[in-house]
Amino acid sequence: MASTKTRPKPFLFPEFCKACGRCISACPKDCIAMGSEINPATGFTPVELDLEVCNGCGLCLTACPEPYGLMPAPQQVDFELIDPQELLGDRLTSAPEPQPIPDERIGLPPLEPLILKGNHASAIGALLAGCRHFFGYPITPSTEGAELLARLLPQLDGIFVQAVSEVATVNMMYGCGGAGLRCMTFTSSPGFSLMLEGISYMIGAEIPGVFFNVMRGGPGLGNIGPEQGDIKLACRGLGHGNTHAIVLAPSTPQEMLDLTMDAFDLAFHYRNPVVLASDGYLGQMTGRVNLPNHMVRPGLPEWAVYGDENHRRNLHTSILLIEADLEAHNAHLNDKYDRMTREQQRADLFRCDDADWVLVACNTPARMARGAVQQLRDRGIKVGLFRPITLWPFPIDPLTPLLERVDGLIVVEAGAGQLEDELRLAASRAGLPLPPLHRIQHFGGVLPQQQEIVDAVTEKSGGAA
Amino acid sequence: MSVFYEKFERHAHGEGLKGHSTHYCPGCGHGLIHKYLAETIEDLGVQDRTIAVSPVGCAVFMYYYMDVGNTQAAHGRAPAVGIGHKVANPDAIVVSYQGDGDLASIGLAEIMQACNLGLPMTFVFVNNAIYGMTGGQMAPTTLMGQKTTTTPEGRTRLMGEPLKMAEILGQMDGPVYVERTALFDNKQRNRTRKAIKKALTLQVENKGLSFVEVLSECPTHLKLTTPEAERWVKEQMVPVFPLGVKKDTSAEAEAWFDPGTPAFGVDEVVDLIGGTDQKPERFASGFPTHIHDTDISIKFAGAGGDGAQTIAMLTTRTAINEGWDSTHIPSYGPESRGGTSYADVHIATDEVLSPASPNPHILVAFNPPSLEKFGPHVGSGGIIIYDSSVVPSPPKLDSGVKMIGVPCTEIANDLGKALVKNVVALGALQAATELFPEESFLATMRQALQDRCALLALNEEAFARGARAYREATKSNGS
Repeated sequence: MASTKTRPKPFLFPEFCKACGRCISACPKDCIAMGSEINPATGFTPVELDLEVCNGCGLCLTACPEPYGLMPAPQQVDFELIDPQELLGDRLTSAPEPQPIPDERIGLPPLEPLILKGNHASAIGALLAGCRHFFGYPITPSTEGAELLARLLPQLDGIFVQAVSEVATVNMMYGCGGAGLRCMTFTSSPGFSLMLEGISYMIGAEIPGVFFNVMRGGPGLGNIGPEQGDIKLACRGLGHGNTHAIVLAPSTPQEMLDLTMDAFDLAFHYRNPVVLASDGYLGQMTGRVNLPNHMVRPGLPEWAVYGDENHRRNLHTSILLIEADLEAHNAHLNDKYDRMTREQQRADLFRCDDADWVLVACNTPARMARGAVQQLRDRGIKVGLFRPITLWPFPIDPLTPLLERVDGLIVVEAGAGQLEDELRLAASRAGLPLPPLHRIQHFGGVLPQQQEIVDAVTEKSGGAA
Repeated sequence: MSVFYEKFERHAHGEGLKGHSTHYCPGCGHGLIHKYLAETIEDLGVQDRTIAVSPVGCAVFMYYYMDVGNTQAAHGRAPAVGIGHKVANPDAIVVSYQGDGDLASIGLAEIMQACNLGLPMTFVFVNNAIYGMTGGQMAPTTLMGQKTTTTPEGRTRLMGEPLKMAEILGQMDGPVYVERTALFDNKQRNRTRKAIKKALTLQVENKGLSFVEVLSECPTHLKLTTPEAERWVKEQMVPVFPLGVKKDTSAEAEAWFDPGTPAFGVDEVVDLIGGTDQKPERFASGFPTHIHDTDISIKFAGAGGDGAQTIAMLTTRTAINEGWDSTHIPSYGPESRGGTSYADVHIATDEVLSPASPNPHILVAFNPPSLEKFGPHVGSGGIIIYDSSVVPSPPKLDSGVKMIGVPCTEIANDLGKALVKNVVALGALQAATELFPEESFLATMRQALQDRCALLALNEEAFARGARAYREATKSNGS
């Protein structure tokens, strides 16, 4: 009989009983029976306890599926008179308010330029940005970046995981980025398609991560030549729902490094994924790359789900069942997209000041266009290059003064007008009329060539050939 | 009870009774499993370290209840998300809590990889033979003949057989512990509690991955009372999904996952990326303006394996070491061996604009197709170096183009190493174009071969022989 004193008997707030009856068959002493009175608060008919012969075995407690259903009777006297809310607690958690650990910028000594392949430059940019976690699935022409990190990361006690697919990759990034760490992947167009669902979840849950897409020829398996066929996906199609992310378009090995470093800062600043849209040519291109004057030792943001006391109260989720809650969340995301649009439009203007004709191009085609501008200028034709560095937000602000003035724009793309569409949409949203718009397009891994750009501008501008 | 939130504020804002009751239907097994998890987390003292990953299914809302770090995941992807968390913080206790549609259908690839990887994580697989959240459709674990909304006449062979995940994963090398348990009576519930405790303990001890499959009741979609559902699981499910331990190597398992703490030391990072403050030696007195004032374009072309890419890269490196901007773009045929392989190089005083070389100043061609394809695009005043051992009769090209045949393959064979024919060509290129001084190329070559010094003498010899062959060729041509 001593045991009945030490083992508490069950106790039940009837409003938390769903009347499933698991406890009835669990009780070896038949102390519990289905009740007969409907609880007006729940509509259920809670079980009734008759504890005369109860020996406090606890089997009914283990059989009750409700956390606040059958529970050991509180030891205090007259507990049944206490307001249940008081007894159960009235706040989410006792976990502390998480505090952020800020990032640290560490100065680098002056160093000689490196000679790097574009994909390698980006991988080194990631290391300097404090990325020590990589997830990816091999796909040409992006693999060199992953291969270099597979070799270097373990030497810095970082982690390289080759995922079972791009679908798994993006979800590993969701977990690792959700833990508050800087992580990235290298991929190419077909792989990027597979990641889009996960990117939507990351945007919904506000989880940062860097996606380096070395775009290749499509649709379908396409080929491994350079194309710009994923601008649409990156700018307009990041999975389902109301999604946007900053899209950076490097055009030199130097920018492969610089923009990769920036991408991590931007991803964490806005708590949002960042997409780097490069092309197959740039990934393979070797060139001179100057090293920055600092590297980053990342801290740990207050919102991380890291697996420690400081962050215990945190949650990452993209499901908001109540419509008003999800609307408010979308309004919050829209505010963030507006801030990105105001704060992050970037473009490089090459000899645009007095230009009558302006080429618009990004990535490798921008370099062909740059060569063409130089060649045409040598002939006295006033042409410039407007090179968006952010494809989203499209840098409409720096373009605006040119739109009012120039004779025409020529969009040069390795693709079927996806950059042009971004330009048109940005101008339309800004309420700006466009000057005559022409285009030079190639597909399937074929790049626009300098000479054809020169020829086109010569023809349009009526200049001497 | 402390591992449950004091109040379920995330459950419809905790209003009314929802602040202390779950969203689960009466008799649902999820609540029980949540309780056993909560108990175990408390017993092991790992509440602060625990991250619960809850993907799509009725238990997607586990984060309403569990006072731990919470991540809600996409359908089926909890194992991948969990891996992300575990490698981010190896001290985190990661629990992936998945239903049968999630784990055994849409997320098959992810659970297989996670189990193959075997990181110390805990998987709780709730198998109730039906889709709950979407309203009673067929699950991969639905029994043969069982009626669901998508098998209105009962599951037939055309819909596949019930998938036995514990048996499948128990065959794999990754997990250390795999068990299937149930909830239908006191004894089974107790076994489930013990299994969950063991599974989490193995993670806390850093020994490996555990997988617990729990046969659970879904009275709502089975359209049964809870006692009837308990009986159904016992009588119908258990014969198909036998209970018990499927794998247990935990006794011999040792703590293992310790990737270390990521390093951020300046010296080690700089060293690793090859950063240096040593300026490369320069030998040229200025830009080779005798070729072009500001921007020189070169094309190297041959069959895959001819080494065109290697000498293109050496040329780019030499140019950058001399202080100029330079780019190299490789372009391969369908295969990197045996197909066509060509490289475009630009060298510019200030900045390379277009990096492509459609009309090069200099062409190095290793075979007839390369010469035929690119030769006609070399402008007047340009220089073509071709392997005369492979191209005995070169095509007639623009008379303003200087054609130089160098028996690269022959010389390389003579040196006993056919592979160095590209370096022979580079030596000829240097002599023919005086792009940069000889010493400049040799310095880059030494740098490139610093880890393979044995090859250096051979390469230097090949380079010298190429230069000599150029001089001989021009002498005999009388040009």
